[in-house]
Amino acid sequence: MTGGRLHPFTLLAIAGALPALAWILPAPSGGLAMATIALGLAASRGLRPGLWPAVLTAAPFWLFLLLLHDVPTTIASGLRITTMVASFVWLVATLEPARLVEAMIAAGWSASIAYLLAATLSAVPVLKARARRIVEAQRCRGLSPRGGIAARLRALRALALPLVLSALHEVDERALALETRGLVPGIRRTPLAPPPDSAVEQAARWALLLACLAALARRFIVPRFL
Amino acid sequence: MALTPVLRLDGVSFSYGAVPALENLSFSIAPGERVALLGRNGAGKSTVVRLVAGLERPDQGTVWVGDWDARDRAPEQLARRVGSVFQHADQQLFASTVRDDVSFGPRALGLGEREVERRTDEALEDLDLTPQAAHHPYDLPPAFRKLAALAGALALEPALLVLDEPTIGLDRALRARVTRALLERSAAGVALLVITHDLTFAAETLERGLVLDRGRLACDEQLAGLVGDATRLEPLGLVPPPVAALSAALDLPGRPVQGAEVARELARVARGRLAP
Amino acid sequence: MRSLTLDHASFWYPATASPALRDVSLEVVQGEVVALVGALGAGASTLLLVAADLAPRVIGGRLAGTVARRDRSGIVLPTPWTQASGMAFTVWDEVAFGPANLGWPAHEIARHVDRALERLELVPLASRDPVTLSGGELQRVIIAAILAMDPGLVLFDEPAAELDAEGARTLWRLIRLLAKEGKAVLLATSALDAIPDVADRVVWLEDGAVRAVGTPDLLAGLAVCDAGLGTSVATVWRASGLPEPYPLTVAHAVHRWR
Repeated sequence: MTGGRLHPFTLLAIAGALPALAWILPAPSGGLAMATIALGLAASRGLRPGLWPAVLTAAPFWLFLLLLHDVPTTIASGLRITTMVASFVWLVATLEPARLVEAMIAAGWSASIAYLLAATLSAVPVLKARARRIVEAQRCRGLSPRGGIAARLRALRALALPLVLSALHEVDERALALETRGLVPGIRRTPLAPPPDSAVEQAARWALLLACLAALARRFIVPRFL
Repeated sequence: MALTPVLRLDGVSFSYGAVPALENLSFSIAPGERVALLGRNGAGKSTVVRLVAGLERPDQGTVWVGDWDARDRAPEQLARRVGSVFQHADQQLFASTVRDDVSFGPRALGLGEREVERRTDEALEDLDLTPQAAHHPYDLPPAFRKLAALAGALALEPALLVLDEPTIGLDRALRARVTRALLERSAAGVALLVITHDLTFAAETLERGLVLDRGRLACDEQLAGLVGDATRLEPLGLVPPPVAALSAALDLPGRPVQGAEVARELARVARGRLAP
Repeated sequence: MRSLTLDHASFWYPATASPALRDVSLEVVQGEVVALVGALGAGASTLLLVAADLAPRVIGGRLAGTVARRDRSGIVLPTPWTQASGMAFTVWDEVAFGPANLGWPAHEIARHVDRALERLELVPLASRDPVTLSGGELQRVIIAAILAMDPGLVLFDEPAAELDAEGARTLWRLIRLLAKEGKAVLLATSALDAIPDVADRVVWLEDGAVRAVGTPDLLAGLAVCDAGLGTSVATVWRASGLPEPYPLTVAHAVHRWR
């Protein structure tokens, strides 16, 4: 359990603070610490749903960095990017779009913005499910996802087009569909089940924000006085 | 000399996690046989398709595709013998033209260019899709994309075609195209296993009905006798198609269930009545 | 009382030269069910989008002529998986999504949602995650979700496509019930054989224009049968060479045969 029952804003705060601190704190120790925490959070959702996608998504960045920069820069930037990726993976796996919408509505945000954010969040699992269906259909026509690099690249290309096209088409259809579900500008949506928020969590969120500001100050402002 | 069945399920049971989907299912399909897989939503029909395509492995029992145990084969290998088209196949096309998409299968099988072209052309012609061959699939309306997906399976020229609801979204004219294409292939020896809610289409296109009820095989018999029998169909959640119901209600000789035959019998009986 | 009036309405999709709807004049009154029939691409779906105030307001394009609506409309699209919000934990929440967007007080929402779930026989599924539902179950959820918003004009685009025979039967019965309650229903369907039991009037669309309007008996007409839009019984009667008028349903045929 990492965050399943925390308030959605707390989850957002954590997922935002980790990469922010990774960039602000001095490299590489700051990045290393944040990346470790972020990867740990991702791993707590399970190895396959959490850690593996985080590592897999971050890996190409490390490769590009290595090709372009020297080792210290690669490590510094790589750790920061890994923190971002792992935080996002953890967030998508932990934050339920419905809860986020309820939290934002209760806090006074407009329904449209809440739905936009929630849709972005749920885009990943939706696309994953769709990709799996497409891969299955293609396998049943003889396309093997295994094999050498050339075969895998071919398979990837065969997956990309229908996925992107159907995703784009889906965005269009979704916008239309949401209109059919009562979205009227100017009307405040009734909250159905706002997630409980505790004083402790609110304090923790402020603390995270202050920590980021303090790190920022320490990094940029304090040295001027030295 | 007994022919090896194109498909044989032997005591197959399967659950999605804790939810049972199929229980002790056994049946076989001979080469060229045209079989409808019927039943309520949730009866287990799509699960059968997934097992036959090799996307799932049975918890118990064996799925034989020809002489292959499907458990030992990956879906891309089974594609040599089984052409599957799933529901919403119109969302799974991926080439830049219909022709390229249809030819994908035979090419993936490793066939020579000339053979690929022949199979593609024939599949497109069978479904009257040649005019749309150069179009981008997503420029076509969903109904035509469905036909393109079917053409892709036809082009594999498999021994067995497994289709999941091939006629949803098609109008009568396009459904007739599908019927024609499937009957032609069947005459050439291809076996058919078609999931459908459309009993009219089943009566026109297929000859045998397997009815699933809560994961079990409730019925395995010729459609001609089954499809007009409301008392048998109702407990299974099915309704006789109007033409079969008409045939039964008017007690037409032979109780035909296909449109053309019913029309003929109607005419014959009407003429008989007019005669002194 | 008129719920929907289209007066010489024409509609062009964005960046398209030829109109998808051509000079369509149509009225739907409260308490009646009007069925739209036509070949694919004849314009039934487009007409529903115009009636729902989604075209051109949301999808763009150009509308000529007038569309007048007396009641709030609700539309059930043929693709339930896109119409689902994607932001509901349970079926109950999914059905409550619309009413919540309309800003209704919580007890009103609960009343409408419970009622809608009962009508669509969804009470056993109320705590299920919508993601785990089959296409047919999800379609029923979406129908419940639209009805929960209490529209006066209910628009259906191929609502039975994903349903099995029993589900379809329940749906047609529900549609008749909606009309009895005073709602206006406009329904596009290719389930021609169901129309005699469901619809009060039938509108035949061809290439975006109204070719004919009448009672369901329209579906037993010669021209309609030749266009592939007759009921199965009428079509087979035509094919047999027997004279007009063709029977619409099995019951009519039995009556004629005696």
